[in-house]
Amino acid sequence: MKLAQLLILPATLLSAVLAIPEYSEHLHLRPLPNGYLYAGFNFTASTSLSAYESQHFRYFPRSLGQILQHSHTKELHLRFALGRWDDESWGSRPRDGKREGGTGVEIWAWLDSGGGKPAVEERWSSLVNSLSGLFCASLNFIDRTKTTRPVLSFEPEGTHRGGGDGMELLHGTLPHEVVCTENLTPFLKLLPCKGKAGISSLLDGHKVFDANWQTMSIDVRPVCHVGEECRLEIQQTVDIVLDIERSMRPRNDPIPRPRPVEELECDESKSYHASDTCYPRRKEGEMAWSLSQIFGTPVRGSCHVADGDESPDVSLEISPDRAVEVLHSGSNETLMSDAQDQRLRVYRLSDSGKYTDISLIQQIIQEAPHQEQPPLYASRQITGFGQERGGMHAVLHNPHTYPQRIVYLESLPWFLRPYMHTLKVLSHPTTSHDQPATPVKPDKMFYTPALDRKRGTHLELLLTIPAQSTVELTYDFDKAILRYTEYPPDANRGFDVAPAIIRVLPLNSNSTAGNGKTQDSYLRTTSLLLPLPTPDFSMPYNVIILTSTVIALGFGSIFNLLVRRFVLAEEVPRSALAVRVAGVMGKVRGWVRSLKGRMRGGGDGGGRAVGGAGEAAGGAGGMNGISGVAESRKER
Amino acid sequence: MDPIPTDDGGGVPGVEGLGLRGSGNTKPTPPTESPRTLLTRRTIVLSFWTIVLCLGLPHWLWTTSTYRASLPLSTMNDWAEGKACDLRFAFPIHLRVLGWTREEMVDLGGNLSVLLGHDGSDGLLDFTFHVGNAVEEPPLPAHRDPALTVVLNAADLPDTYEVASRLEPGESTLRLGSGMSQAGEILDQIRKITAPQQEALAYLLSGTPFAATEHEALQMTRNMRSEASLDARNTRAFKPSTTYHLSFSLFVSGNEPSAWAIEDALAAYVTPLLSALSGVSKFTVTTQVQLHASFSPSIAGPTFDEASREWKLRKEDLSGFVNAAEWPLSPSIGEGSTINFVLYVPAPGHSPLVVADTGGTGWLVPQWGGVAILNLDGPTTQPKPAIDTDLATLTITDLDEIILTFADQLTALIGLPSSPAGSLALRIAALQRERATALLLSTASTLGALSRLVHKLPNIPIPDTVATSVGTSLRHLDLACQDLGVGRYAKTDTNLGALGNAQAASEASEKAFFEPSMVGQVYFPDEHKVAVYVPLLGPMGVPLVLAGVKELLGLYRGMREKVKGT
Repeated sequence: MKLAQLLILPATLLSAVLAIPEYSEHLHLRPLPNGYLYAGFNFTASTSLSAYESQHFRYFPRSLGQILQHSHTKELHLRFALGRWDDESWGSRPRDGKREGGTGVEIWAWLDSGGGKPAVEERWSSLVNSLSGLFCASLNFIDRTKTTRPVLSFEPEGTHRGGGDGMELLHGTLPHEVVCTENLTPFLKLLPCKGKAGISSLLDGHKVFDANWQTMSIDVRPVCHVGEECRLEIQQTVDIVLDIERSMRPRNDPIPRPRPVEELECDESKSYHASDTCYPRRKEGEMAWSLSQIFGTPVRGSCHVADGDESPDVSLEISPDRAVEVLHSGSNETLMSDAQDQRLRVYRLSDSGKYTDISLIQQIIQEAPHQEQPPLYASRQITGFGQERGGMHAVLHNPHTYPQRIVYLESLPWFLRPYMHTLKVLSHPTTSHDQPATPVKPDKMFYTPALDRKRGTHLELLLTIPAQSTVELTYDFDKAILRYTEYPPDANRGFDVAPAIIRVLPLNSNSTAGNGKTQDSYLRTTSLLLPLPTPDFSMPYNVIILTSTVIALGFGSIFNLLVRRFVLAEEVPRSALAVRVAGVMGKVRGWVRSLKGRMRGGGDGGGRAVGGAGEAAGGAGGMNGISGVAESRKER
Repeated sequence: MDPIPTDDGGGVPGVEGLGLRGSGNTKPTPPTESPRTLLTRRTIVLSFWTIVLCLGLPHWLWTTSTYRASLPLSTMNDWAEGKACDLRFAFPIHLRVLGWTREEMVDLGGNLSVLLGHDGSDGLLDFTFHVGNAVEEPPLPAHRDPALTVVLNAADLPDTYEVASRLEPGESTLRLGSGMSQAGEILDQIRKITAPQQEALAYLLSGTPFAATEHEALQMTRNMRSEASLDARNTRAFKPSTTYHLSFSLFVSGNEPSAWAIEDALAAYVTPLLSALSGVSKFTVTTQVQLHASFSPSIAGPTFDEASREWKLRKEDLSGFVNAAEWPLSPSIGEGSTINFVLYVPAPGHSPLVVADTGGTGWLVPQWGGVAILNLDGPTTQPKPAIDTDLATLTITDLDEIILTFADQLTALIGLPSSPAGSLALRIAALQRERATALLLSTASTLGALSRLVHKLPNIPIPDTVATSVGTSLRHLDLACQDLGVGRYAKTDTNLGALGNAQAASEASEKAFFEPSMVGQVYFPDEHKVAVYVPLLGPMGVPLVLAGVKELLGLYRGMREKVKGT
């Protein structure tokens, strides 16, 4: 909960008291179990709406601002994500999953709906195409088949004039997109300090994309406070989970290789422990790490560019017993716990000086790290076999003692054709397995069926997951057969199916269970790989050749039967061509014979010449033979 | 191995039989065919061929043909060859003489016309004189503004005027003192004003097919010296466009200054210029601030000069000064070109930064924009205060000189002629004329290129949209040509004017030329067709052709025999 509070802090608490600073940035660090470290970067810039409309940009990036203006975008959410958040061991998601995307690229935006549906589609296409250029991503492939209009899953975060009338929500996903350095570079370019000073100097593509889980987000929304001019706020976040040991590999030797046997730490209590068998010993205590070791560089300078920004740059959520040292311009300083929250250490980068580093030593902490339980566990798989049909199977597990209302959103590609009559939602309690499963009736269901090559499926379910129970959601589907030009170059890899998005609705404030969340949270399943029947791509040519053979056999023989005259083989007259060829052959033969006679006098080696001439003669005869095949089988 | 005998003349055994019978009885001959079988076989072959030719071939052609909308190719070629339009530029001059009667003015106007007609050196501009005082009804037909108004103050006493001739900066008016009441003198003044315009137009037309029609006039006005300066002006200026996006960027090498009073500065120095230029193009303005801007690694970087205590930027580095890879200077979205103006504030440790040879702090990048370096008074002498608002924000006094330079560079970048120096209105009118001409020429050449392309690549499809665009383009070209001839240059509420029509024509022609569905089909290879058709049609074609040839040969021989026999 602290994490969520802390991240909302700059956005809500602070702004309620002070005016929002034009720019602020924050890095939150939290060690996770089993040697992982969560690092959440947050950069918030804002501009007044009047300056935005007259195109005077200061900390709000001009390139993005122009795109938003040109496409009449009111609110934008863009996500680039990689990997899977292991909620079994890492607990609840950072920022309640609100700044997280499904694997690949995900974008949803509220566009001005003036001008009707074609105008909105035009704006959406202009938005994704421009963003595609800005972020070097294949966002331009988000066409109508990959766009859905969810009803319940998303709500605008900003304050909009007219309470959100005149806006339309569009949502698109690209699960196949591989997020990489070329997406991070433009992301950093949008920041005022461009990764050259402040906490953004830690963001290096090698580390960010080496993470076990990584998500980059860009959220633009208008923020209005009573008595103040409305502002347009851009929030950029990078959330990563790093394997501490892996990321501390020295820079000059980045290739992972097996450790020498002497360096292995083995659990010698195991019965099978021997000189050639090693069971790795469980790490004791917390690992030692420092920012410069994990990110490859310490924090360079600071990026305090806006007036009124006094918030701390770095915060560590860590046990109060751990010793934290700050190395800054040659001097060491111990970072003490925050006065208000014992588990938090905060630090504001100094304006002077060049480098700041935070380091922790290895310690054995008795207290188990506090872990927030996620609101829901979710997973989704494709079932079935063969290339014709399959089934979808999603498992939603509510570990809490109170029921939860969720919105389950799936946007499926058109070539996956679900049968909604096979949709089954069954619930069974987690505590006792022998009880029969009871069907769960969705409170609401929104379903837009797919149209081939025009629209994907949109399925949205409002469900209540009973307390401490598991809900299984299944349905069957058919796999479409694509045209051969519709396959990607790596056709046998399969097609990616976008993750399901699950929105956990907040409990009602008058609800009896007091420990529910007051804010809604999101989680996403992993993306799926759908194998489709893959054709042989030389097929069109094979078809042509096969057809031609059939025609040659059928048409040719029938036509010949119709127009040929049949006579006895002896009666066939010699053609003029054959006579001429025979004459030439006779000449060649005579020449060869004379050559042979001369060679016989000159020695051996003539055999080859004879063979060659013989072959030539044979070839000529063969050619003639082909043209005469039809005539050689003559009958009366 | 003996070749197997083939039946070449099997269809006409009578002929072969006759030949063989003469050679002896060694080889039996096939019996003579009855005319009925012969007829049946020929009918079969003929019906096959009829089906192929009357049904198969048209069907095949119809299904494989590409759709080509008909284009007015000859009109397009006429434009490309400069035959469609006789380029003349009407230059109506409104003559007002204060203190004279109408008759006297008409007299003067007549004199001027006679003088002009006498030496015939009016070049590309068609001067016409209209007289009348402001109080009277407008002397020109509706929708035609005078290109130049000449006001002769004949009532002046000789000692009261200060200058003999004067141009009004905001309007296209030439004021003459009473010392210049002679027709010859007035004409000289007018020639002085219009000479640069003549040269510029001649420069534009030179080397184009339109030049042929104006050959003599061109020869007269071409001038080597002015050509060099026109060359320079032309390479600097952006391509004519309906919209220009002006992007003013403040690049700071460190953290500060992070704000600038750009809105006030633009309102003071750039907005008036843009409103004056609004008749030529539309302008949008964006500004941005970018901190931590570093030099491009491709340049050597500034070096410190001990003598002058300045950081010098070598002249070779100026072209690479703008770090295109890192500085976010992406073009604005939408139609039109983006003109960038970059103000660079060097780090205090690198200040003052100047260009090595000239010592200047600003330069123009042709067809890209302008760059200026602002050296703040270095805080090297006094220690930097913790938060200094003076340093964090550039005030309008810091900026005014730079924004003025930018405004000057802007005129060069959009190709505004530098003369006549006195009057902005005349310069803008000249720019309109040049723009309209340049757009007309480029449209004509685009249409010519499209016509050649259509002629050269018979495989590309031509959708109807291309034909429509070409039609629109040609219509606007005609209108533009007419407008130039009558002197309707600027855009009015009811009429696009020469410039507007030329812009519309240019846009339509570009749209037609860059039609995406045409571009995509150009690369449909013939090899592909061969690979598909040969296996498909070969097995059918070979027996059909052979049978047809055989029957035809038989028919021919039979006829020859008949002729011999008779």
